[in-house]
Amino acid sequence: MRPENYRPVSHPPSHEYELYFGPNHPGIEGNYAIRVRLKGDEVQEAIADGGYLHRGFEKIMEERLWIQNVALVPRICVPDPVPMEECYSRAVEQLGGLEVPARAQWIRVMMLEMSRICAHLFTFGGNAATIGFYTNMFWGVSMRDLFLDLFEEITGARIYHMYITPGGVRRDLPEGLLDRLAALLDDLESRLPDFEDLFFSNTVVINRATGTGTISAEEALAWGVTGPNLRASGLPFDVRRDDPYLVYPELEFEVPTMKDGDALARMMVRKAEVLESIKILRQVIARLPHIEGPVRCPLPNPLAWNIPAGDTFARVESSKGELGFFVVSTGGAKPWRVHVRGPSQMHAVQVLERLLARGRLEDIAQIMFSLDACPPEVDR
Amino acid sequence: MTVETGTPATIVDTIQHEIPGIKVTKQGERRLRIDVARDSLPALLELLKGRLGFIHLSAISCVDWPETDEFELVYHVWSYERKTLASAHITIPRNPGRFVSVYDIHTPAGFYERDIHEMFGVVFVGAPNLRPFILTSWGGPPPMLKSFNTREYVNQTYEWVDYQPDWLKDVEAKGGGVEK
Amino acid sequence: MEQKGTKTRPRKLYEVPNMDVTPKNKGSFLRPLKALSFLFREPVTLPMEPRPAAENYRGFHVNDWEKCIGCGTCAEICDNEAISMVHIPDLPEDHKNGIKPRRPAIDYGRCCWCALCVDICPTGSIALSREYIHISREMNTFFILPDEKGMHGLGYPIGWGKNEDSDLLDLKRQPMGEVEPEARSDNFDEIVDGFDAHTALIEASRCIQCGMCHEACPTNMHAPQYIRAIWEGNVEKAVEEIYRTNPFPQVCGRVCTHRCETACSIGRRGEPVAIRWLKRYAIDAVSPAKVKKIALADKAKKKSGKKVAIVGSGPAGLTTAFDLAKLGHAVTVYESKEKPGGMMRYGIPEYRLPYDKLDADIAVIEAAGVAIECGKAIGRDIGFDALRSDNDAVVVATGLGQGRSTRIPGSDQPGVFSAVDLLARVTAGESFDLKESAAVIGGGNVAFDIARSLARLQKKTFGKVDVTLVALEARDRMLADEEEVIEGGEEGVKVFTGRGPKQIVVENGAIKGLETVLCLSIFDEEGRFHPKYDEADVILHPAAMVVEAIGQATDVSYLGKDVTEALEWERGRIKIGRDGSTAVPWLFAAGDMVEGPDVIHAVAAGHRTASAIDTFLGGGSSKLEAAE
Repeated sequence: MRPENYRPVSHPPSHEYELYFGPNHPGIEGNYAIRVRLKGDEVQEAIADGGYLHRGFEKIMEERLWIQNVALVPRICVPDPVPMEECYSRAVEQLGGLEVPARAQWIRVMMLEMSRICAHLFTFGGNAATIGFYTNMFWGVSMRDLFLDLFEEITGARIYHMYITPGGVRRDLPEGLLDRLAALLDDLESRLPDFEDLFFSNTVVINRATGTGTISAEEALAWGVTGPNLRASGLPFDVRRDDPYLVYPELEFEVPTMKDGDALARMMVRKAEVLESIKILRQVIARLPHIEGPVRCPLPNPLAWNIPAGDTFARVESSKGELGFFVVSTGGAKPWRVHVRGPSQMHAVQVLERLLARGRLEDIAQIMFSLDACPPEVDR
Repeated sequence: MTVETGTPATIVDTIQHEIPGIKVTKQGERRLRIDVARDSLPALLELLKGRLGFIHLSAISCVDWPETDEFELVYHVWSYERKTLASAHITIPRNPGRFVSVYDIHTPAGFYERDIHEMFGVVFVGAPNLRPFILTSWGGPPPMLKSFNTREYVNQTYEWVDYQPDWLKDVEAKGGGVEK
Repeated sequence: MEQKGTKTRPRKLYEVPNMDVTPKNKGSFLRPLKALSFLFREPVTLPMEPRPAAENYRGFHVNDWEKCIGCGTCAEICDNEAISMVHIPDLPEDHKNGIKPRRPAIDYGRCCWCALCVDICPTGSIALSREYIHISREMNTFFILPDEKGMHGLGYPIGWGKNEDSDLLDLKRQPMGEVEPEARSDNFDEIVDGFDAHTALIEASRCIQCGMCHEACPTNMHAPQYIRAIWEGNVEKAVEEIYRTNPFPQVCGRVCTHRCETACSIGRRGEPVAIRWLKRYAIDAVSPAKVKKIALADKAKKKSGKKVAIVGSGPAGLTTAFDLAKLGHAVTVYESKEKPGGMMRYGIPEYRLPYDKLDADIAVIEAAGVAIECGKAIGRDIGFDALRSDNDAVVVATGLGQGRSTRIPGSDQPGVFSAVDLLARVTAGESFDLKESAAVIGGGNVAFDIARSLARLQKKTFGKVDVTLVALEARDRMLADEEEVIEGGEEGVKVFTGRGPKQIVVENGAIKGLETVLCLSIFDEEGRFHPKYDEADVILHPAAMVVEAIGQATDVSYLGKDVTEALEWERGRIKIGRDGSTAVPWLFAAGDMVEGPDVIHAVAAGHRTASAIDTFLGGGSSKLEAAE
């Protein structure tokens, strides 16, 4: 029923129209908006519009003690919080000259890879949902939940673990956790064929995703694409291997790549990365019981903890790409500046705008999700 | 693209040969710190990208230094072949905070310059897009400036919840209460 | 394991990828229908009750009120300022043991369950439970005062509790260097090395700034402030904070009974912050000239024209003098001994408090304008009446200079000494008849002071030590500080505990030894001092001299008959108000002779007395300040 005072607005005749995507579209991880100008269903121009999740983390971090920021950083990226903790902690360690004990390094790798699997499972689901495959989303999210159970056991929290701290991790693993992790990995592996049947080798999916949002290798490099998105364009670069940290040099893993650079290639790279992460986790399960010792180096009283003056740029390979923390200390009890370089800052803005401009209305959500862009990382 | 191969030492040599008066410090295995005069920065980035393979602009960081009345801009560039991150540090005066855009050298600079413009108020001449992105409905000063006091802003803008649970009323009746 | 991950492949920039995960594994378009098989699988069912949380879970807070001391460190570390401290008047308050009547309240509109409050809690009282459900439309239910049962009183088990891995407090003290027993046993050199700048900084960094020490200190020293200043590397600021309340930093930095450390929150589970040694570090690190400048920064520029005489140059007398002089009054201190300092000089052995350090403190006090006349005994050299008539106010602070006697058989023999008397002789360098073996009666710090002094003299004179110390108290209830007992033992003092003196055995006019009996109990049912002995359990401790160190008394005969009669007395002591005032308006008393028991209490009494005198004299301070 139209209200009584309804008057139709007449527009000048045009083939073009503007459409607002978001800011709470389900095809997007977190609140984000895209303003698209369309001609029919062809996108003429797309303008990314962020800020809905801006909480001023970089500013707040300047107001907090070094240890207090441990509670803040995981919130920068909800689906993949562990790399944030790792990256911040390592920046502080580099500035403060802290040595992370061996056992803590292995535990951190375990946490990072578990988080990567979680994030990719989440993306499996999201990717599927953008083209109407909700079953796959439910499966992905429910598998992820089993990992969250383990996170809860280890850290006491499911999402915001606040577990990695400068100098190590906050406490050792609970009894029998590695066994439960091993069982979960077996379970996950046994479930992957189901995903394969339903989704990855689904003719409809493959046809739908092939050629959508294609990035060539040259473009990927020029646009600052990193992580799985870069590897989907055929470039085997991974911070874990190129700029290694923790005990990654001791681990055997491949860096999966695809050539096509389209939505399908990005999905496939992530699928392969889940397998690589399982491989890494199995190595951790084999090695960790033989590595004794403390899980954190001695830290000074956090209320009286100054970090020597200097600056550092710490990098981590998150599930989304290159994550960097540029941290400046003036020798005080709080950081002077923390700059978060999230991979999605490229993927969700300039890259997305360029890709969408080549696509069609129905591709928008799929392209956004195939880039696995994380809006809170953009907004900070 | 021609790429000169070599160890970081030759990177240092090349840079120092081409841009005199530059200071290059090795900070760890895969980290270089370069202190450069601001006018030489675009040339340095061109050199690093074109001759030495630093093709990936990882980030541009801005730091506010009110004491010296300067902004520090740090350009982090990564070379996939040399596996080295070079961080080029420059300072620019705060008033006016203006610098030349490097978007024509590194496309990712577009986002970072826009972000720094928004958060610190630095104007990048030649940047393709300095429209507000995150703070679209913000009327205040650039919030990342040290002179912007978050707590003050919050206290002026928001009301704190005044809790009055029963237990607190009991305690207050006995002469106690929340200590400020 | 071979490090396979590190192997570098020769690779060009646009190399063919090393692992192409060839997709397009298109199966039959019916393949996705396999998922339909899930229809026939047993469904997953979960109970409606909340799922039990993991053992480490970080749910709602619990706080054991019995353990909690109200230090507020949880509120300090809270990154969201979600914790505020609530003053609860019903709860016990105990400054001496560092307990404040307040408990943390948590605002769940702000808490992020990071559990830093748990990791930093000095007592381990606060923890996060495994309870995690709270649903309410009532805002007030989100501000809670947790007890050990949690926010709904349901008694959920603890999830994230205190754990060694995640504990954020440094419970270990920085080690303090000491001269080895062999190297110190024949001399009076200072034993404790003191912190260097680095260890002092680390030790200072252990402080959580809860302020329990400030409350516990008799003179309320600003320990949190000076510790923070030391941590910041600003020793001059530290000295400034110290002089706000204490003109004896050198002395108290060495021999203070450190009530602050007893109350220190870190001491709840670990070793308290070495507050005393930090004070010593700060004062040692600043030049005497600079110390004077800092200490006298608040000295009044104008004179009040009033005169005050102080009898006795111990900590109480000199603190009173220092304060009054800074307020612009003319102060003269009379000391019967050759040098000022009282018990600090003549009671405390030099190996604990070097005389030049005491001199440094006194030099600052003299620089404030205090005149100290040594070798002037009131009653002997100057009449008390003359003091009265020449001054506007008089303070007596003559301490406890007389040793008490056990009055056991033989205690009137030559060769039986009182500890205070003997310690004074050691300080003054007066000779006495030192024997190759000695017995000391008493288990307090004074007993150990004399025992360890005698041990040093014996070692120096005879090359060996033979000192026996007999204490009435059992080993675990010794009155002396633990370090005295340990260090005394290291220096060769043989300690017998739980034994009472029976008699001094004398043969042919020479002391043969001290006979002791086993002590069964020290106090009677009503708590009065009334030791019971097992007379059958007798030991003879061979010794050629005996020292009694069982307590001291005061000698106030110098007051004269009129004043003595005008004063009110209480169990042999002058009765005073809290501010040192007596029944005689112009006469004040302070220090051990009226209160005891140690230097820091004497300093505190000195401040109170000075302030009372200033008021008595017309409030010189406020008037002077107004005049400036």
